[in-house]
Amino acid sequence: MHKMLLAALSRVLQAPAVSGKVAFRVMVASRNYGDFASEATFEIKKCDLHRLEEGPGTTAVMTREEGLQYYKTMQTIRRMELKSDQLYKQKIIRGFCHLYDGQEACCVGLEAAIKPTDHVITAYRAHGFTYTRGVPVREILAELTGRKGGCAKGKGGSMHMYTKNFYGGNGIVGAQVPLGAGIALACKYFGKNEICLALYGDGAANQGQIFETYNMAALWKLPCIFICENNRYGMGTSVERAAASTDYYKRGYFIPGLRVDGMDILCVREAAKFAADYCRSGKGPLVMELQTYRYHGHSMSDPGISYRTREEIQEVRSKSDPITLLKDRMVNNNLASVEELKEIDVAVRKEIEEAAQFATTDPEPPLEELGHHIYFNEPPFEVRGPNQWIKYKSVS
Amino acid sequence: MNLFQSITSALDNALAKDPTAVVFGEDVAFGGVFRCTVGLRDKYGKDRVFNTPLCEQGIVGFGIGIAVTGATAIAEIQFADYIFPAFDQIVNEAAKYRYRSGDLFNCGNLTIRAPWGCVGHGALYHSQSPEAFFAHCPGIKVVIPRSPLQAKGLLLSCIEDKNPCIFFEPKILYRAAVEQVPVEPYNIPLSQAEVLQTGSDVTMVAWGTQVHVIKEVAAMAQEKLGVSCEVIDLRTILPWDTETVCKSVAKTGRLLISHEAPLTGGFASEISSTVQEECFLNLEAPISRVCGYDTPFPHIFEPFYIPDKWKCYDALRKMINY
Repeated sequence: MHKMLLAALSRVLQAPAVSGKVAFRVMVASRNYGDFASEATFEIKKCDLHRLEEGPGTTAVMTREEGLQYYKTMQTIRRMELKSDQLYKQKIIRGFCHLYDGQEACCVGLEAAIKPTDHVITAYRAHGFTYTRGVPVREILAELTGRKGGCAKGKGGSMHMYTKNFYGGNGIVGAQVPLGAGIALACKYFGKNEICLALYGDGAANQGQIFETYNMAALWKLPCIFICENNRYGMGTSVERAAASTDYYKRGYFIPGLRVDGMDILCVREAAKFAADYCRSGKGPLVMELQTYRYHGHSMSDPGISYRTREEIQEVRSKSDPITLLKDRMVNNNLASVEELKEIDVAVRKEIEEAAQFATTDPEPPLEELGHHIYFNEPPFEVRGPNQWIKYKSVS
Repeated sequence: MNLFQSITSALDNALAKDPTAVVFGEDVAFGGVFRCTVGLRDKYGKDRVFNTPLCEQGIVGFGIGIAVTGATAIAEIQFADYIFPAFDQIVNEAAKYRYRSGDLFNCGNLTIRAPWGCVGHGALYHSQSPEAFFAHCPGIKVVIPRSPLQAKGLLLSCIEDKNPCIFFEPKILYRAAVEQVPVEPYNIPLSQAEVLQTGSDVTMVAWGTQVHVIKEVAAMAQEKLGVSCEVIDLRTILPWDTETVCKSVAKTGRLLISHEAPLTGGFASEISSTVQEECFLNLEAPISRVCGYDTPFPHIFEPFYIPDKWKCYDALRKMINY
């Protein structure tokens, strides 16, 4: 009787697209109806390779815990970005605000593949990375609203967020990539088996300093992974109109490259693991192109529909949304239930609300701090103000 | 017209008059992020108004190349804060071309336009005023208009001038400033400052947006202190009109210079230095410079950072009571 029940179960559970190996595990774990599988294997897209004999595999294993954690992180980032959108429209956040929604799989997938002791540097679309590198949501939102509880004490704003092993948050396009190579050199020099991820966008890929950096990194075999987050538009210009070659993973020419589906978190994770191992083994740098998409415009002042159609945005949202893809995978492979994921959604919403509350009520940095941290100096010096009678102290 | 429309009008005139003129930069084809080039591509074709990829150094280098062959190049740098990758090309190549080739070659047909100055929410990289960096470089001209009427005339003069010019456009005035501007082309001479208001007690010098601030301060001074101020818009930063300024200071004896850029090494220091050389015995009080702080342009502290009318008024009062 028991055997028949198990046999029936195994037939039923084999219906979703899951490899044969897993069915066994699923069956064993599902002796009780309420339980979930502890892990599942998924097919992922093969990566296009440049100057590489072999790339990351085409299957990835994800455990239930990993899945829930990725889901929670991606959902937090999504809701945080949407909250920032709201706060910006209420003029509580001012200045510039470049939102990351749609691209969550990139930062979460990359973080899953590297260690907290590795280093990351990116451009201005940095809120997602700031979170995955360990800054709590309340500090990110407080930084956006310019309060002293922010991660840069309210003096940086949207584009300048930093934390341990995360070097920002950089406004000038492409300027962060040579910095990334420098960090990679330090990694190699200190010999702690750390690597650096230097991220940039499809627009920045046309900057001269990127090519200078490729040369230096390849010459000195720096443990640097150059990651191009190709969201198809450099501000308002589509990649076809800006680049002579849209194969950004090949742009390193003498540096091997991979092109990765940036909307699939497992694909990003596996590719990043492959790249990290490659760099750590001392073979030199790698270029990774993550094909992704952003739902918002370039920044909050860009509606995002004058250079692309609403239909296009809708299509990506319905077919390739990273959070939905993960959710479907988890539910269809019995790694979680819809209700459980909904509970996570509710918890995330609450966290974001509280963070927003903090961000709107925290006081702004005091005026005395205007002159602080310009230089590193022992005795505080005076910063000259608008005329000879106004001076501010600079302390660091 | 407002400021961006007057720029479009100037570019329209330039492209119409000069068949070799080309306009290029990031996103200029659809009209530009500040709408300065709206309609030009449709009117003049995509081989004369075109986008470049994201590469400032490339844009300016490319522009120098066009200019050297004799065609007129009008390059746009999307924000003045982004001009620094191109700094080498401007300072080492464009500025020195004529000099180093003994006048055999030159890139006088090059004009670089860039939005400039604080805008209320720009923070570090969308609010800078880099005129002082370029003022230190012989061989180029730096021009900053204060209004749509001035902008069109000065831009057309820059385009026609046989020297490489950098034209900074105060971005906060793009929509805010509206004036009656003629549709036909007209020129305003470069290197000539304009005295907007004559006075006898204090001379105040500024450029770009700051001119409007000191005009207000002049009105306040007249009303509250009975002080008569002479207001001068410098217009061209390099080469600057020393004669007008010195003549004015010789008359009034007091000088206040104001700009948004940081105090140390800002262009006010050059003006101050020259004026004290020329007019030492005429001075009644030390020359006052009301400028930005010596810090990077802040995000949250911007209202405190900019040299607003109160700071200028305060400095003026101290000068009067010296």
